[in-house]
Amino acid sequence: MRIRPCLYALAAAALLGAGCQLDLASEPADPVVHYSLSPTTTALDEAGEPLLPLAEQDHIAGSLTMLFGTPSNPRILRTAQWVDDGFDPNWPTYAADDNGGGEFSDEELAAIKADNERDFRRELALIDAGKFDDVVLPSWMPDLRARWSEHLASKAAEARDAEFSAEAKALLVDFYPTLRDSAELYRQQCLHCHGAEGGGDGPTARFLNPRPRDYRAGVFKFTSMKDKSTPRRVDLYRILDEGVTGTAMPSFRRFSQAEIHGLVDYVRLLSMRGMVERDLVNTYLNDDALSAEAVLESFSAIWDKWSKAADKHTEFDGAVPAPTKESIERGKTLFMDAATGNCFSCHGAEGRGDGASAFTKHPETGETIPAYKDDWGNEILPRNLRQGIFRGGRRPIDIYYRVKNGINGTPMPAAVSTMSDDDIWSLVHYVGSLSEAPRVRPSSHSKANADH
Amino acid sequence: MRLIAFLLLIAVPILGVYTFMTAAEHNWWFPPAYSTFAPDIDWLFNFIMYMVAFTFIVTEVALAWFVFKYSAKRHDKGVFTHGSHKLEMIWTAIPAVALLVIAFTQMETFANIKFASGFPTQGRFTREKPIAQVWASQFDWRVRYPGDDGVLGTVDDLEAAYEFVVPVNEDVVFELRSRDVIHSWFVPEFRLKQDALPGHTIPVWFNATKEGSYDLVCAELCGWGHYKMSGRVRVVSAQEFEAYQADLKAKWFSNGKE
Repeated sequence: MRIRPCLYALAAAALLGAGCQLDLASEPADPVVHYSLSPTTTALDEAGEPLLPLAEQDHIAGSLTMLFGTPSNPRILRTAQWVDDGFDPNWPTYAADDNGGGEFSDEELAAIKADNERDFRRELALIDAGKFDDVVLPSWMPDLRARWSEHLASKAAEARDAEFSAEAKALLVDFYPTLRDSAELYRQQCLHCHGAEGGGDGPTARFLNPRPRDYRAGVFKFTSMKDKSTPRRVDLYRILDEGVTGTAMPSFRRFSQAEIHGLVDYVRLLSMRGMVERDLVNTYLNDDALSAEAVLESFSAIWDKWSKAADKHTEFDGAVPAPTKESIERGKTLFMDAATGNCFSCHGAEGRGDGASAFTKHPETGETIPAYKDDWGNEILPRNLRQGIFRGGRRPIDIYYRVKNGINGTPMPAAVSTMSDDDIWSLVHYVGSLSEAPRVRPSSHSKANADH
Repeated sequence: MRLIAFLLLIAVPILGVYTFMTAAEHNWWFPPAYSTFAPDIDWLFNFIMYMVAFTFIVTEVALAWFVFKYSAKRHDKGVFTHGSHKLEMIWTAIPAVALLVIAFTQMETFANIKFASGFPTQGRFTREKPIAQVWASQFDWRVRYPGDDGVLGTVDDLEAAYEFVVPVNEDVVFELRSRDVIHSWFVPEFRLKQDALPGHTIPVWFNATKEGSYDLVCAELCGWGHYKMSGRVRVVSAQEFEAYQADLKAKWFSNGKE
């Protein structure tokens, strides 16, 4: 009988499978994983010795863990002062400004709730039907899942009443992710490009051009901030919500508003962590010592930078002007004027991103290569303004921010301070007109058709 | 042993038939059909499926019968043959006719879905001008509406990521474009799938018959992020569509105080 060996093999495979299952179940809990230090911190000098003594590297790593937690349990240290003030940095009521910097307005909170209701509509219907045990919450909400099972365990199935249902619903409708929830979502959606520490060095990063953002410098390109400031929450939110056209960064609008806000919280944490790390390395290299006070000082200085970012927001009052023939002409003049706009020197006379100063000759081979590198060390070319692809957004106000403030981390400078708002808007109108599709005249062919 | 082998063998068709018969109630079948041409596609699908099922059953029964009839026990001697010209003629002609039947049956549906959008100005559609340009890129969908002037490719175009909003019960023509590689627009509820080719502007049309929000997915492996290239098509009433456009315009020309 030929079939017997097959059956034996099948039985063996089943046993093996069951064995693996048991093995998995008996595996110990995950060991604590820490964030890695950045390669610049662990770099070696010319002699092959670590730039920073290993003990000092451990000290920095420990300090960072104290300040920002671990990937599986990220949290921002609550200083004694904050405990006294009743302030918790782990929730997005950071600063008492309402300029998109921190606290949510009532409108925003209502929008988040409405969005949760949409996002959890299946779960809410199950609660209404009394099918509590059928509710399955996404894997990227570990804390919410824990609270949910706690709630279910608090009352036996027979004793569940209307109040119990109302509380269960409130859990979902009022959902705002903790940093642990957001870190899980980050692991699933962002890590493969942006890396566990937000270093822009995930496994897929090297296949991408442009490279994913490295948050650790605290430099973000597409914001509404002046003086190269760290961004506001809404700036980061907008990038996650809209995506960055022309790059591998997609829109994450398929997630709820609460989830995107949570990701913003987590990106802020990673960015602050990277900035503190850099700061501590520099402090050590300068002073040859690193005290506990210096660590806290650096943390609070960087925290302030982020929480006060809204002060650096570029305000524009009034309505966005509509383009006119004159404003486009004026924009063109400024674009070509070396003293004011000087845009043509990089973006080219026709805005094709082929201006003379954007390129240089390779010293050895004589090839034409990009003249500039961005802050992350990648070669960078000026945008071709005729393609209609504007990474920071194509809205007039987005282009206004780019012209007025420049682009952080790149050679694109801020507009000269003498330039008036009207002039900047003229440039915006001219740049917008460059990417208009060329009008296609009816060809002789279609004309012939029309005649017959 | 022989019995087990027989049971295993017989389990395959039984399970197959069971799966087929209960698919609808388990929600293993198609999503609901919410466009004017979706029923045509479903009809064609069923037509071809029944045809194939019939052929499958006939050939499998014949195969089983031959295995039984010409087993070594019953036929210990083989016969040398050069084949039968007549038989070959028959099994060439039947599939050829079947293919021709399928080809002629689907022609009108295919032309209606794929070609009509190329000639929207012949009084066919309720909305002849493209309602938007849908851009596929690695790895998201972006929609560009023509704005106030009704012309695509001008400064006042409005853009939205992820979600394509269209009015219900209207013939909607849109231009499908790709920024980088080949993508494919697919909305299962509309039974509409169309490749987006870089460098091509492909007119596509549909008429959604039910308000709601439907998944828009990429149906062409377009790179490592293909699995996450999702969007939504939201079908709304005509008034809501106007309101949406107005809202989009207000946001587009916002002065940054959002």
